[in-house]
Amino acid sequence: MKKENSRGIVMFAHNNAEIDYFKLAVINSLLIQKHLGISNITVVTDPHSYSYAVDSLGEDLIKSAINNLIVVEKDKEFKSQNIRVFKDTSHTAKQLPFYNINRCDAYDLSPYDETILLDVDYLILSDTLNQCWGHNEEIMMNWRYQDIMFDRKDYTLDRLNPFGITMYWATVVYFKKSAYTETFFNLVKHVKNNIAYYKDLYRWPGNLYRNDYSFSIAAHVMSGFVDKGIPQLPTTLYKTFDTDDIHKAIDEKTLIMYLEKPRSPGDFILTKWNGVDLHVMNKWAINRISEEMLDHVRNNL
Amino acid sequence: MSTRLEQALEFSNYRTSLNNQQAQLRAKTQSLLSYSVNGGTFTIDTTLINFCKLLVDASKDTAILLDIYDNPVQVEVKPFYEEILSRYFEVTNDYYAEYEKLRKARKVHKVLDLNEKGE
Repeated sequence: MKKENSRGIVMFAHNNAEIDYFKLAVINSLLIQKHLGISNITVVTDPHSYSYAVDSLGEDLIKSAINNLIVVEKDKEFKSQNIRVFKDTSHTAKQLPFYNINRCDAYDLSPYDETILLDVDYLILSDTLNQCWGHNEEIMMNWRYQDIMFDRKDYTLDRLNPFGITMYWATVVYFKKSAYTETFFNLVKHVKNNIAYYKDLYRWPGNLYRNDYSFSIAAHVMSGFVDKGIPQLPTTLYKTFDTDDIHKAIDEKTLIMYLEKPRSPGDFILTKWNGVDLHVMNKWAINRISEEMLDHVRNNL
Repeated sequence: MSTRLEQALEFSNYRTSLNNQQAQLRAKTQSLLSYSVNGGTFTIDTTLINFCKLLVDASKDTAILLDIYDNPVQVEVKPFYEEILSRYFEVTNDYYAEYEKLRKARKVHKVLDLNEKGE
């Protein structure tokens, strides 16, 4: 009889001075349990983020959400150098460290045969990602995305530069343990270790290191320098901007969102987002509805 | 009602909200009409349903179908057909019910299924 593969989710949660990524990971873990029915959840964090979470959330809640914690040390030099502008709508912008350097270790850290690597702010509001398990493809990630304000376009998100390769989103990555995916992640590490060279070669803008860039470059190289060579996930990636906000969580799969009008910054329309997974870029917005979302999920588990 | 919400509702254009909400419904429907089996992924549509019905009528037990990645996937025809047909009706019935509700909504808060206080 064929042995069932072990399957699980891996997320990375490293807080900075303002954003409690670990809390987002806890909320998302409970959403994953609720909607995907998966309890194999690994969160990679650091001692400071974890101890803050123990104080603020309590160990019981953390244990009920996450069954495998991996605590690693941060690269402090990288943290101080990789600074990004985070927005809490157009009204507030802050420069904060963006600690994302160890995502390329997901292959080594994942204890599962099949893994879905997720951003903590990719809220699981449906069971769509269950379609990945047992898939013929060894690795899948999205280059196709859709803003949830459907007539709002940002072409800078399509490619690494206007004449460059297609940008893949490292927000959701499905992979199986295999020689091919191991090489893929080794290549991501190689890009991360040679940022200046690859930034020059692929001409990505600015000085910020993003996993979207290194995963896109690895996808390009691994496909024999062919664009879009790594297959898409069986689902479209739906996203918001950090200029958007959340009004409230109606239930464990429905959000009322403020979406900023494209030609009128600071003005919003409202939308109801229901039953489809969503990448929420405004981290403060998730934190603001975190308590009501926790109540919804805990009541319905 | 909070001032922010009041302002947002004021700024909200009914038509924009309605169009966006309809697009959201279509997105949800598309997502639910995706079906993965035997390592492949299929988009459930009338073409796939009709082709499978043809295979069932021709008494085929198994068949190779091309999935959304154009990879060949072997399926057992009858259970596959029954599954996609059932999913198709389940999803489109929900879509119809939600769409009708939206079509009748004449105010932003009704489009969003909220009361006038935005709750």
